Amino acid sequence: MTSFTRQRWAGLLFLIGATAVAWFAHAHWSARLTAWDYFTGWVLFAVMVMLTVFNARKKIPFLPLGTSEGWLQFHIYSGYLTIALLLVHLRFRPPGSGFGITLFVLYAIVTGSGIAGLVLTRVLPRRLTTRGGEVIYEKIPTVRRSLQQQAESLALAAIPGAKSTTIADFYARRLRDYFNGPRDFWLHLAESRRPLSSVMDELNDLRRFLNNDERAALDKIAALVRQKDGLDYHHALQTTLKLWLFVHLPFTYGLMLFTLAHIVIVYAFSGGAK
Amino acid sequence: MSEQLPSPDFDAAKYARPNANWICGRACDGDATCPAGPSRFGHCRAAAECSPVLEKKEGDAKGRWRCNRAGGACEQGPLPDGQCCRQTAPCTPARSLRGQRGRFTWVVIAATAAALLALIGGPGRPGFINPGTLSSPHSGSAFSVLHGGTNATDHTCAGCHAAGLAGPRQLIKAAFNAAPGPLEFHKLASITRTEMTAIDGSCQKCHANHLFHQPNVVRDHSCSLCHREHQGAGALQPPTDANCASCHGDAGIMTASAAKGATLAAAAFDFRPDRGQRIFKSARPATGGYTRLINHFATDHPEFQVLAENQREGNTLKFGHALHLTGDTVSFGDGRKLACADCHQPDAAGAYFRRINFEQHCRACHSLQFDPATPRLQLPHGNPAFVSAFLRSLGKQYADHARTNGLATGDAAVRSYTQERLQSLLGQFGTGEELERRVFFSTATLAPAVNVSTLTGQGRALYSGCAYCHEVKATGDASPTVTPPVIPDRWMIRGDFNHAKHTNMKCADCHAAEKSRDTADIILPSKNSCVTCHSPRGGVKDGCSTCHAYHTERREMVTLKGR
Amino acid sequence: MPTTPLIVNRPQRWDAAFDPAMTDEDAQRLMFTAPFSQMSEEKFPKRTPLRDILRNDSRIRRFKQGEIIVRHGDYGTSAFLILNGAARVVLKPPLPARMLGRAESKKKNVFRMLSQAWNSWREPESFRLAQLRADVGVDARTGTGEDVHVFLQDLPRVLNQHRTEAMQGGEFFGEIAALSRMPRTSTIFADTDDTELLEVRWQGLRDLMKYDDALQKHIESVYRERALRSYLRAIPIFKHLTKEQENVVVGQTEFATYGDYDWSGDYKKLLKSGGAARPDQEPVVAAEGDYPNGVVFVRAGFARMSQKFGNGQRTLNYLGAGQNFGFREIAHNWRKRDAPVDLQHSLRAIGYAHFIIVPTEVMEKIVLPTVPVRELPELIEPKAEEISSRRDSHAAEKIGTDLMEFLAEHRFFNGTATMLIDLDRCTRCDDCVRACASTHDNNPRFLRHGPSNGRVMVANACMHCADPVCMIGCPTGAIHRESAAGQVVINPLTCIGCSLCANNCPYEAIRMTEIRDTDGAFLVDKSLRPISKATKCDLCVENHGGPACERACPHGALTRMNMGDLDTFAKWLKR
Repeated sequence: MTSFTRQRWAGLLFLIGATAVAWFAHAHWSARLTAWDYFTGWVLFAVMVMLTVFNARKKIPFLPLGTSEGWLQFHIYSGYLTIALLLVHLRFRPPGSGFGITLFVLYAIVTGSGIAGLVLTRVLPRRLTTRGGEVIYEKIPTVRRSLQQQAESLALAAIPGAKSTTIADFYARRLRDYFNGPRDFWLHLAESRRPLSSVMDELNDLRRFLNNDERAALDKIAALVRQKDGLDYHHALQTTLKLWLFVHLPFTYGLMLFTLAHIVIVYAFSGGAK
Repeated sequence: MSEQLPSPDFDAAKYARPNANWICGRACDGDATCPAGPSRFGHCRAAAECSPVLEKKEGDAKGRWRCNRAGGACEQGPLPDGQCCRQTAPCTPARSLRGQRGRFTWVVIAATAAALLALIGGPGRPGFINPGTLSSPHSGSAFSVLHGGTNATDHTCAGCHAAGLAGPRQLIKAAFNAAPGPLEFHKLASITRTEMTAIDGSCQKCHANHLFHQPNVVRDHSCSLCHREHQGAGALQPPTDANCASCHGDAGIMTASAAKGATLAAAAFDFRPDRGQRIFKSARPATGGYTRLINHFATDHPEFQVLAENQREGNTLKFGHALHLTGDTVSFGDGRKLACADCHQPDAAGAYFRRINFEQHCRACHSLQFDPATPRLQLPHGNPAFVSAFLRSLGKQYADHARTNGLATGDAAVRSYTQERLQSLLGQFGTGEELERRVFFSTATLAPAVNVSTLTGQGRALYSGCAYCHEVKATGDASPTVTPPVIPDRWMIRGDFNHAKHTNMKCADCHAAEKSRDTADIILPSKNSCVTCHSPRGGVKDGCSTCHAYHTERREMVTLKGR
Repeated sequence: MPTTPLIVNRPQRWDAAFDPAMTDEDAQRLMFTAPFSQMSEEKFPKRTPLRDILRNDSRIRRFKQGEIIVRHGDYGTSAFLILNGAARVVLKPPLPARMLGRAESKKKNVFRMLSQAWNSWREPESFRLAQLRADVGVDARTGTGEDVHVFLQDLPRVLNQHRTEAMQGGEFFGEIAALSRMPRTSTIFADTDDTELLEVRWQGLRDLMKYDDALQKHIESVYRERALRSYLRAIPIFKHLTKEQENVVVGQTEFATYGDYDWSGDYKKLLKSGGAARPDQEPVVAAEGDYPNGVVFVRAGFARMSQKFGNGQRTLNYLGAGQNFGFREIAHNWRKRDAPVDLQHSLRAIGYAHFIIVPTEVMEKIVLPTVPVRELPELIEPKAEEISSRRDSHAAEKIGTDLMEFLAEHRFFNGTATMLIDLDRCTRCDDCVRACASTHDNNPRFLRHGPSNGRVMVANACMHCADPVCMIGCPTGAIHRESAAGQVVINPLTCIGCSLCANNCPYEAIRMTEIRDTDGAFLVDKSLRPISKATKCDLCVENHGGPACERACPHGALTRMNMGDLDTFAKWLKR
């Protein structure tokens, strides 16, 4: 068994075990303990705090607080566990008040985006690796600009030799815009080959109207197009890998604020409130 | 692996700084960046390629500016005023994606906080945080007005919750003042106990103390423990058995209750309001009252008191169910025997039965005919004085009878008919006094009394005299008195029963009427017969509240203080 | 990618002299100085006469009293001969790191650890001016670039508190470190003003030894006595020897250096020209099919163990310091005299390697009889050769030929803490880089990018090499090995920004950064040039809990791997 498989099994066992404990505890205590909902609420809240603290842990990597990998494993499986805990806390009934529904919707956004993020996290890196063309995200504009300049100078350099502006015209008509920024975000995300093949088809069409020198230039431009395609691919996928956190993270804090308010209200309106 | 695209070339001589919040505006456009980079506040620092330094030699007043450009001094050198000659157009640094995320996070936090304040601090709060519809008695304008509001929504929260009208800050204060407070986790486990909580004080604003249960209750019991509010419209949900058993299953509490009960006058327990029902009253058990330990109906609930104490009914009517339901003695003209439903008819709700009444249920058989010749002329029922008066004006009665029934026409004929009937009676009884005495007191089932009303056809019962069914007492000269029979409407007043819910059963399944010969028999089913179905094994619900109501039906269940 | 052939002049020896300032007069003067005056010029070949060796491979350096010549723990490629004056070697206790210009890295205490949350500089590469001016334990520094003079502080106290020994004119020192590429064993400083030393670089020393028996004998005997005996004693095979037997083994053991000492520079040129390191260009130490001459122990550097496969060589494993080659064959032949076998694999030096060879005869006569049978390697079964070779090389089999060649091509097996990124799991979130920055005053100390093969990327982070070429020639001792665990670290306060280490490093792991004050303005020197410092990964030596990058990776994609242990690497690949 590889260590990742072992890790997955350990996580699943933890999840199943903890869910079973929650279930049995609910069956046993829910009718016996007046404050059972308070218990389940606090346990759920404690887990949620641990889940939220993961981000804080990332901000203090210099403290020996265990590995981030361990934290993420806990984060993932405890995240799933909150689903069971929430069901128990709700006593398997839909939330009643507007407040409860708001809390539930926030929770669904955070948990849903988390699961989506996990899937992206596991799927997209492999796709990036398979495609290659590894690049640091922040360097993408620089690389793109460099490709653009190379392509432009190739297109211009071809004019005097061929005494024609075929390539330059094509560059101006089709490629200038192509090289000018990230392109085809959704197609790349959908793993489509269309962005590259459509440009390549046009380049091949153009090829029959060129002399040998121009063809050599066109081949070089085609190589640049391939690189740009890889760059766009990386841009699309790496952006997606970062964007899901735009949902998961902010709404986590929204959820925690609402949860705190929930606790305050529950206690302020509890039987013991004076 | 050769299928992989090669990595593009980029300047790797400098560290990438993904921890920085700002990216040089030129880098965003893909241009070469300046070495300075944006400041941590997002300002471009590339004002010039260098910042010349003033060098002063000794004795030199003015000094001389020197270029300190990173790549070596430029040809022109600094301007006379000390500025670099190569001014760089400043860029507009952009936030990094992560920086944007950080900002967006703050926006969401601020928006959430604002929404929270608006929803919690604003007028919409009650509707927003109400976890479930309130019960009908505790909602609506009447309840609201009771607590100082003017319409259906004002002050309803504050009626029960101290924090009902609190602002956000007081809300937090209230939360931390609660008992147990938000951080007193260890106390959560002990909330199973039945102590009064703060919110029960709110209940007691209207529902004074615990007088609405038994007077021997020894200590206050949390209202809200049993009564869960916000569970939907209508009546409050019934408490659970565990709630009842928290006292009735607790030996200490029951012993104390028994002790307290012993100090109270019996009248204290006689608190049920008159609802016009005739109630069969069982005396409260002398020792202990109703303080046996009870946890479940099927297991430790005692036998019903009427049966356990083998109680008898005190009704003076002479009636035997067995006689009426079995044998050949009683039958209708068509040979059909009496059934329960011939006399016992359900009331409007179907839960209980209408009272038995002579006119509807007895007269058909027990007609009050006294003269065999005039089956339609019958004695009045219900008042002995009327009977006496009737008998003493028999002549007139016969005359009226003859006229209305067309037995004789014309005064003379009527008069002769009347004479004829009176003579016949005198021949039979001798005197009028004897006739009256027989009518009241005869209980004979055989001649000569039977002859008073010879049977004319099937289905008629004998009429020998009032005393045949009633207790009749002589009172000297005046008419005798007939003790009015009292048939109770309710037998077991501490529990409710709904016959309508038991229509799938036969009467005889529970009531052994065919074996009852005496009026005094109380033919109620035993507890065990109920348990057959009302038990975990029987599958029909067996909770306390199925039969019992916690609260006594006192008028003072709701007392409005100060009103 | 089409490549145009790169036509360059074949590099000649002495294209670049050690010191261009050396004149013929200087060489002439040396020819009259002992021990060169006693060497016979005839023994030197015509292409490399003694005079030219001295002129091109040595230089004369002058030191003032208290000036440090070599530091304990430094790597150096040259030996020294005292011409005039005297030098003094510090024996015991060794000088404190501070006095040698090194940072005394201590684990951060709790407060310093916590304070990083708010105390880190907001500007990149910030230094407080006071920090730069602070007493760093190095007294006076003069000169710029590589020509830097560093003096010991408080010389009387050094002499008082440390046992030292004087060395007089004519004595050689530093030759073992230069030849075997091991760290210098002690600190030596000039004892008098105007101490004149002849610094002979490694190539020259090798030739002098080759053609002068006296020098060779001298160096070899020093080497055997100081280094070899303790080295052999640590090897299990020799632990059963008696004192006399050990003397014979030490006396008969040979040692050899293969490859080019300056491989890193050549290698960088090679990479730039698009060529890749290939086995057939590497010097062969022992060839497959040959009679085993002796057991080859790798003392320093690396060697490639390969086997014929088709028309090429298939790399099976890399041997690093401490590993041996040929012992199995020799043990087999000794036990099965009737069925002797040839060498089953070839051994080639990669870059530079220093070997210790115990001849077969010594092994058979002295060593093997003392070794219990159960400690001997398995016999070689000729018919099951394929299987046995597989068993020998499972590491290589497990990680695959392509990846193996990738590691070789880039010389990555040098790393003891190579940063590997599993691209299949890496989400490119840069948490590692941010963690690194948080741990280093908001400055990242590596680039999350580098050569990759399949899903394995080797990031541009210091690998803390077994053979740290970066440490050769640091003029101030700022780059050094941490005494406790051997991490290669740079003391920013004594770093003078000469970028020697950055240029030496073949892995792009050291970056020069222009430093700023705490407001973000660049710091400049008197001539208004910006001040640079060499920076790199220090493996979070001052931090608790190990490298922050590895701990910060949420997906387990990043690890610091000792590439000398291919089994662990293979295991990591197959997680």
